[in-house]
Amino acid sequence: MEKPQETPWVLLVYKIPREPTSSRAMIWRKLKRLGALLLHDAVWVLPATPWTREQFQWLAVEIGELEGEAYLWESRLLLNGQADALTQQFQARVNSAYQEILSELEQDEADLVALSRKYQQVRAQDYFHSELGIRVRERLMSARGGFTS
Amino acid sequence: MKWVTWEHVGVDRMACAWLITKYLDPEAEFLFVPAGQKPLPEGAEPFDIPGVRLSHHRGHCTFHTMLGEYDLRDPVLQRIARVVDEADTVQDVMLEPAATGLDVLCQGIRLISPDDQIALERGQLLYDALYAQFASEPTQG
Repeated sequence: MEKPQETPWVLLVYKIPREPTSSRAMIWRKLKRLGALLLHDAVWVLPATPWTREQFQWLAVEIGELEGEAYLWESRLLLNGQADALTQQFQARVNSAYQEILSELEQDEADLVALSRKYQQVRAQDYFHSELGIRVRERLMSARGGFTS
Repeated sequence: MKWVTWEHVGVDRMACAWLITKYLDPEAEFLFVPAGQKPLPEGAEPFDIPGVRLSHHRGHCTFHTMLGEYDLRDPVLQRIARVVDEADTVQDVMLEPAATGLDVLCQGIRLISPDDQIALERGQLLYDALYAQFASEPTQG
């Protein structure tokens, strides 16, 4: 990934009718699943990559089809340090999820199947390649037992 | 006939091109324009471009839309549509483990192909393989 201050971001702002609530909830779940960050209850943000741009683009189409309205931007942060702070917010979130996996791995009879699935989900949202992710992967590999290579 | 889409094809466009060539238009000719370019070339059917008929609709991928638009009801194609949905768009329910791998392979095919045309041609093999495999399994609805 580029240096934080050079990272472009994609921003999504939308509104959607209150009813049906299932549509609202579905869009919300998809944004969470993408690992987008909600700033000040207003703007959803992701680091811009061809993949995140495309995901937000289709989500904007979907919101339009649900009678909502969505605006999609790509932009850069101008104030010194803010890009780093935002990057850290993304990192902090995946790191706490990785940390949970590590703690669960400490327990006897840890459910390795469930934990490795959880690892895959977190990694899909790990846009800045957290160091902790590498550790979780190594721990999962060594926890599986049996042959070590 | 001519079909047009944005450059840099991926999992959904490879699936669509496979469907077009196999089921709709064996003589299909594909054109590629830069993302966002307007107007689109005249006389070519656009696909997988936001806002056109053959595009994402209701949270589904373009391949899924095309099955509906052309009334293709083969359950094997429907299952492939589910895989492409999960590979190409964020879904809150994930049922097809093939999806993630298919997406990676399609991206990789584009990387090793000199242009989009060749990437679409190479992608055909993946979808032939997926079809054959799913056809050999019990239908899952």
